[in-house]
Amino acid sequence: MRKIVTALIIGVCLLLAYFTVTSVEKVVRSDWQEPLPLDQTDQSYRLALITQDIDTPFWDEVIEGASLQARQDGVMLERLGNYSHNEDDFLRNLELAIHAKVDGIIVQGLDTDEFKELTKIKAAFYSIPIITIANDVPMEESLRRTYVGSPQYQAGQLLARQLVEDMGVSGEVVLFYDQSEPYFQEQRKAGIEEVLEQYPGISVIPAMTTEHMDDVLATTQALLNHYPNVDSFIAVNANIVAGMVQEIGRRRQVDSLYIYTFDDHADVAKLLEKNKVDAVIRQEPEEMGRLSVQLIVEWLNGETVPLDFDGYFTNIDILKAIDAP
Amino acid sequence: MNTIQKKILLLTTIVIVMMVMIWSALTYYNRQTQEQYNAILQRYLLLNEINEVSQNMMTDLNNFLTLSSVDHLIKINDSQEQLETKKKEAWQLGHQENEFELINYINLIGSLSETVERSIRLHDQQDAEAARSEFNDASRIADYISETTLALVDKELKTYDDFYRSIIQQSAELNQLGIWLLLLLTFFLIIVTYTLSRSITQPINQLTEAANHLSRGEFNVEIKVNSNDEIAFLARTFNRMRLNINELISEIHLKAQLEKELQENKLLLQESQFHSLQSQINPHFLFNTLNTISKKAYLEGAVQTSDLLVNIAGLLRYNLRRLNRSVTLQDEVTILKQYIDIQKARFTDRLQFTEEIDEQLLSVPIPALTLQPIIENAIIHAVEPRENGGTIHFRVYDEDEFIQIEIEDDGPGMPKQKAIHLVQGLLSPEEGHSTGIGFTNVVKRLRIFYGRDDLVQVDSERGTKISLRIPKQKRGGMM
Repeated sequence: MRKIVTALIIGVCLLLAYFTVTSVEKVVRSDWQEPLPLDQTDQSYRLALITQDIDTPFWDEVIEGASLQARQDGVMLERLGNYSHNEDDFLRNLELAIHAKVDGIIVQGLDTDEFKELTKIKAAFYSIPIITIANDVPMEESLRRTYVGSPQYQAGQLLARQLVEDMGVSGEVVLFYDQSEPYFQEQRKAGIEEVLEQYPGISVIPAMTTEHMDDVLATTQALLNHYPNVDSFIAVNANIVAGMVQEIGRRRQVDSLYIYTFDDHADVAKLLEKNKVDAVIRQEPEEMGRLSVQLIVEWLNGETVPLDFDGYFTNIDILKAIDAP
Repeated sequence: MNTIQKKILLLTTIVIVMMVMIWSALTYYNRQTQEQYNAILQRYLLLNEINEVSQNMMTDLNNFLTLSSVDHLIKINDSQEQLETKKKEAWQLGHQENEFELINYINLIGSLSETVERSIRLHDQQDAEAARSEFNDASRIADYISETTLALVDKELKTYDDFYRSIIQQSAELNQLGIWLLLLLTFFLIIVTYTLSRSITQPINQLTEAANHLSRGEFNVEIKVNSNDEIAFLARTFNRMRLNINELISEIHLKAQLEKELQENKLLLQESQFHSLQSQINPHFLFNTLNTISKKAYLEGAVQTSDLLVNIAGLLRYNLRRLNRSVTLQDEVTILKQYIDIQKARFTDRLQFTEEIDEQLLSVPIPALTLQPIIENAIIHAVEPRENGGTIHFRVYDEDEFIQIEIEDDGPGMPKQKAIHLVQGLLSPEEGHSTGIGFTNVVKRLRIFYGRDDLVQVDSERGTKISLRIPKQKRGGMM
């Protein structure tokens, strides 16, 4: 009896001690790791990638390529972007990056005076190199180091040739573009027009609109009213294609029309998939991102000075609806 | 010695040490947590301060540009300095997670300072428009600082999220630890206290038990206490007391025994003296008369009668004089022979008496009238009742330390039970002895005289043989 009681007491004691010890362990132990402190002396380059849009397939790929290259080169890359083309926010991001004295800025070109002033005066003041990506702004106006992206003029030509191939050498073609006429759009337009001018049977109908949905819808409506026999639409700016296709779809069969555009907008892939758009110019966003980071690091390291002012072009090709996955 | 006081002190020390340990552990832990909280708060406070200083500087700059007062300029310079120091402090906030934002932040502060300086310089150069434009820039940079502050705080929250949660978790765990610790300590202390109190009370109980035994008069139970403190000391003392009492009691018993024997001895003496007094009727008259008769008989030619009368007179004298004195065996033998002569005169041929006596041994002391009553017994039982009479053998011989005296008759003997009673002195003395002294009286006097019990042996198979073993060296004895 005594033995049992002693054993019981020792057992209870051990049990309580076990629970106490585990409890102490829980209190003392902490899995949390303090983040590593900064090394002030050995700073890597800080690059900012500033875009007008984020979370679109095109820009996601750009960022992916850029991040990959940044990691390879051991530089910090911060992406600054905002949703749905808010120009003010975009410019603020750019200005912030300039005032924060980053080592290099990769920016989607915006053909406005404010943008040019920032790049030309502010960035130059802090001597921050700027590379435009995807959309260019002429070097004379922006003092950019170089441009990385598709050759827009050639892209326009390629698209026009595809149109001629599909539609034939005669017909009415609506050339739909943004009335603010950014530089890249002008180049595309020039390329398209250069090709189409060779065919007298093709009449080009230029149509201007803003990027606002309402305007796009209204302009499309007006176009359809004025030119009921139109054969083809080319959206020079990918931003307007969604509204355009939607309005056309309300009025007539979309399939019977030849609709072409570029791939740098989120809606394009879906329309292509649904066969609403016949073909698009496919660019290489990942390569753009990768190349831009590589070039700016090379410039910063003094390996490639100066950079090619004309720009470094990435490949383009035609993606037809039937090719689309 | 492990005293009770030591035990209590030990318990108290254990409790105090435990409490101190827990208290210091908790205090240390609290301090640590407090420091962590402080560090976290410092980070936020620093960010907020930088933000505030930059905003204030903008207000001052604005006022300065409008009013051109020196006060504001001083304030601006003040703020500039503050920002400079804070900028250095801000480096401490950096870690891998917020590196980009933090460097942005620090650079923004630098840009702000520079822009503000430019603005002041332009103002000094009377270029109001340019100064204003720089001010606008500065104001936007201040805004960016605010934004970046928010971004940093946001990042901070994200980075330290796990940490904050672990702090909350830890405080919950601490509560649980408190409960477990309380349970453990309570249990432990109960056990320790119980054991301690037992170790104190158990010896007391054992002692109480022992005291009960003693009070009931059981002095043979040893007092044992399983401990080594003051109680054990008490128990040892108690035990010694018990032993002492035991010794005293046995001593008292012994004394009482001796007292009793002494008393008995006195009684026997008185009895003998009484008997002798009874037969002392004018002994001188009896002596004189017997002597006169003896001379008369001698003169009348009755020599035998004369001798007989001399013998009787000698016997009588002996009887009267030597009763309470020790005599030698020689005296006894002499008186025995006189007695036999008298009896022979009475029984003539019916009484045959033989003797084998080692003359060397006759000098030992012996109580008076030891042998005569035994011979008289033999004559009474073995010769008198029988028509043919009987034979009595008397032997004295040496046997190591003892002198063996044997009186043997060839009478009918006696039952065994009677013989045993005779040796033990249980039979009451019979009437009819000439000296008034019976066998029982002889046995008892011998015992007292020599101080031992194994002196008399009665064998009664054929006839009766009384053997006396008289030690050559008398040891002790009362007479």
